[in-house]
Amino acid sequence: MGTPAVEIEELSRVFEPRKKPPVVALDDVSLAIPPGEIHGLLGPNGAGKTTLVKILSTVLLPTSGRARVLGHDVVDETKAVRPLLGIVFGGERGLYWRLTGRQNLAYWGALYKLSARETKARTQQLIERVGLAERADERVETYSRGMKQRLHLARGLVGDATVLFLDEPTTGMDPLAAREFRTLIAELRDEGRTILLATHDMVEAETVCDRVTLIDRGKVVATESPRTLGQVISRFQRIDVEGVDAAVLGEIRALTGVSGVTEADGGARIEVDEEGATRVVLGRLVDAGATSVKTSLPSLEEVYVQLIDDRGLEL
Amino acid sequence: MTALATTVNVMHHAFRAGLADYRAIFTWKSWLAGWMVRVIAQVAFFALLGERIGDDQKTFYLLVGNSILVAALTGVFSLNMTTAERWAGTLPLLVASPSSPIIVFSARGSYLAVDGALSALAALFIAGPMFGMDLPWPRVVAVVPLTALVALASYCFGTFLAGIVFRFRSINSLVVLTTHVSLMAACGVNVPLSYYPDALEWFSRVLPVTNGLLAIRGVLDGADPATILGDAALEAVVAVGWMTLALASFNQLASRGRRDGSLDYGA
Ligand SMILES: Nc1ncnc2c1ncn2[C@@H]1O[C@H](COP(=O)(O)OP(=O)(O)O)[C@@H](O)[C@H]1O
Ligand SMILES: [Mg+2]
Repeated sequence: MGTPAVEIEELSRVFEPRKKPPVVALDDVSLAIPPGEIHGLLGPNGAGKTTLVKILSTVLLPTSGRARVLGHDVVDETKAVRPLLGIVFGGERGLYWRLTGRQNLAYWGALYKLSARETKARTQQLIERVGLAERADERVETYSRGMKQRLHLARGLVGDATVLFLDEPTTGMDPLAAREFRTLIAELRDEGRTILLATHDMVEAETVCDRVTLIDRGKVVATESPRTLGQVISRFQRIDVEGVDAAVLGEIRALTGVSGVTEADGGARIEVDEEGATRVVLGRLVDAGATSVKTSLPSLEEVYVQLIDDRGLEL
Repeated sequence: MTALATTVNVMHHAFRAGLADYRAIFTWKSWLAGWMVRVIAQVAFFALLGERIGDDQKTFYLLVGNSILVAALTGVFSLNMTTAERWAGTLPLLVASPSSPIIVFSARGSYLAVDGALSALAALFIAGPMFGMDLPWPRVVAVVPLTALVALASYCFGTFLAGIVFRFRSINSLVVLTTHVSLMAACGVNVPLSYYPDALEWFSRVLPVTNGLLAIRGVLDGADPATILGDAALEAVVAVGWMTLALASFNQLASRGRRDGSLDYGA
């Protein structure tokens, strides 16, 4: 492997808010991302994802350790690093609502030192790419949330970045928009760009990333392939059910792969920890005339516990 | 592109972004019917006051002072660009871009300097003749660049304040109010500088109105060119000084933000 696109060595960041105890947001994080990879940074709220993205984006200094983007130090060589980066974060901030989508892109084109001609061409191309052509000349304040997010992505691409940092770029998007967005992210990787995608959404991490780093309370828990992650996710399911009697629940409790059944006012939650068991349980519930059945994914915490346990067993 | 060309390009776009904010508030019609009418009424009020309490000289003194004050008060409003909440979301992106955010901040509110100069000149050239003031042609032409200079200096001063208010958002309105009162009271708008103690004159001279206003009064009163040019030069120095401090304060804001983590997307 040549120079990694992103190289993080023993990076730590401690915040020292006034009149409050210090917060260790990142604790000795090391990670290398090869060029052309979509790397997921998966962790619950407060895990330190944004802190890491900010340090890599040169807007926050680490307390210790170092990080490089394409070989350039993010603390000392900001001049070399900044033109290489595209930054996209979720939410509706970071755009000028009174300008049109096209004007926003032209504005950032100027900041990324494009000539007027380059700006015009790139802007048009990006507008088409993110599907904003019809609304490009309307003010951003009239855009839906999903449109603003797409404009954000286009904004992040104005400088033709080789390395993209996406911090929860699909928060608040409807599922369809989020899916299209993910397709776009995959296209960007196919063009040879390196992407660091911070998210707390396990399915997002599993579906678009080449590798996923799990982070919790500032520490790297594991770097996994999305397959491993996917197996864990699909193995652990929860089934919330209503309208079945205690006898049926008792029967289900005895099935292999069912790890627990908890009854709660009128319904029950069944937890499953083996692939395939979900299907058996669902079949049984439908036969028993359940009035409502809903499956949901395990929480991130549960996946963490499981991944750590699995590794414990391997040792 | 050359460094200069890219800088100018960024300033141009920042100016446009600022103007778009402004155009969302005012149309040409509402600008004329709302803002200009208010400005002229305000200047006329002070002129009328002068007529009541004194002679023509007092009237014209107040009329000129309060017209030029409009340029200053408008320019100083550039400090409000910090309260435009979306800045909270763009600052880290500006810092992370290959261009310096201070280029943006130096131009973001400059439409206010243009607006201030136009408003002040309109007030002077409309209210002046209304009160029978003699505007000596062609000397009076020199008032145009001098008013622009006052507006620019005030804009620089407002931008400096913006850098301060950025960190202490809660004091924004207090700063606006204090600034307006100081400019009105301490810059020779309603009473001559000689009225103040010496120490205050120094303070007055570093404020963005005083020197330019003296130059403008000089033009209208037929003072000798050397005095006028001297005051105008001082005004320019004040403008450059405040802009230098403004840029330094934004630089400071960015590097401090990198250290303490206050550069927030505010998502
Ligand atoms: N500027 C700051 N000052 C103090 N604490 C902060 C600051 N920024 C983040 N933190 C804290 O650092 C931890 C990590 O936050 P963050 O990186 O935003 O997590 P994530 O993006 O994974 O949700 C949290 O406990 C958060 O409260
Ligand atoms: Mg975050």
